[in-house]
Amino acid sequence: MTPARKNLLIGPISAAADGALYQQIVDRLKREISEGRLKPGAALPSFRQLAEDLLVSVITVKRAYEELERGGIIFRRQGLGTFVAEHGHDRSREAKLAAAKNLLREGFREAAEAGLKPSELAELAHEILKGKK
Amino acid sequence: MNTNNAIEIRGLVKNYPSFTLGPLDLTVPRGAIYGLIGPNGAGKTTAIDLIFGMGRNDAGEIRVLGLDHRRDEVAVKRRAAYVSPDLNFQVWGKAGKAIRFVRGFYPDWDDAYCATLMQAFQLSDADKIATLSFGAKTKLSLLLALSRRPQVLILDEPTTGLDAVSKQQVFGELLKAVEDGERTVLISSHGLSDIERFADHIGMIKNGKLLLEGRTDEIVDRFRFVEFFGGNGTDFQSGDGLFILKRTENRWHALLDQKSGAHDWLQSKGAKEISLTRLTLEDLFVALVKERGSK
Repeated sequence: MTPARKNLLIGPISAAADGALYQQIVDRLKREISEGRLKPGAALPSFRQLAEDLLVSVITVKRAYEELERGGIIFRRQGLGTFVAEHGHDRSREAKLAAAKNLLREGFREAAEAGLKPSELAELAHEILKGKK
Repeated sequence: MNTNNAIEIRGLVKNYPSFTLGPLDLTVPRGAIYGLIGPNGAGKTTAIDLIFGMGRNDAGEIRVLGLDHRRDEVAVKRRAAYVSPDLNFQVWGKAGKAIRFVRGFYPDWDDAYCATLMQAFQLSDADKIATLSFGAKTKLSLLLALSRRPQVLILDEPTTGLDAVSKQQVFGELLKAVEDGERTVLISSHGLSDIERFADHIGMIKNGKLLLEGRTDEIVDRFRFVEFFGGNGTDFQSGDGLFILKRTENRWHALLDQKSGAHDWLQSKGAKEISLTRLTLEDLFVALVKERGSK
């Protein structure tokens, strides 16, 4: 068995959280990678092992891994396993930024439709940021 | 037979005076947890029974790991295990005695695994089967099946009556059982949120026929609830990829198969304010069973 198995603990996933379960796995793994808890070259558990840990179907984890692989964040070596890519850290940060920009854009659009002026929008953004702290 | 498949059912037919199963095709990929779902009386148990040679099919073939279910019956039964809520081990008195009895039949019996499962399921040799709770009895029959290390495990309603913790333990063990990618689990269940979470593939049957089969995520993703407003007097009917569920005046609710051209078709018929909503396997199940049932 791979030694990675016992070390890897990713944020909880739940049917009640936003996004499909596979998407939640993608997001949680990106967070581990962008925050440096999973370093380039680190081995990830096999998807069957992670499925067992997270109590989700194998196909759910497989889909998450495939998406991370397409994004160049992890890579697979036949017979050896799956690893965090050299630039996985930057790429997951880039991906997160892109996702954040999209969400902001969407939020701004909704706010504009609700009749908010740019100044009011900036104020709202400040409020949200303050509320978070 | 494709060797990547653990179970292949082709053109299976079984006639009863008041019910006909099939012609039914099912394909269970090797290494998968496959959820067989359908309303009561759809034929799930009939199909499972036929795999194990309980009852004779009137037509079609069933292959388990490439073996013919009748001609190679012994070989199939050696590699495939079956768990049903009807199994009753009470005659052995204590759990330990039931285990010692069953293990004698199976050369691949794994004592160490059996001991691990005993712990995981909080069972002990000294447990009196008659006084075990329903859930504990279910776990015992699952333990007896898993300890044989079967290549194919078939479970008929294994989680009925289990509490949430027990259910999670059971699915945890099933995921472990398929961890090597070689073993396969076929599970029939009404617990659709569990099936959506744990099953890689699903087959949905109704009135003895297959409605849908494929990867769970792809099937759930393919469908959407759709709401739209029709022009005055426009009549929309169920058809290619569109299943009308409800209508109040010009406001319509339907199920939409995104793989079909139904969305474009709706627009071309003048449907306005079309909005799509994601759904769960349970939503999909209810919508399909109700819609088709109304015809």
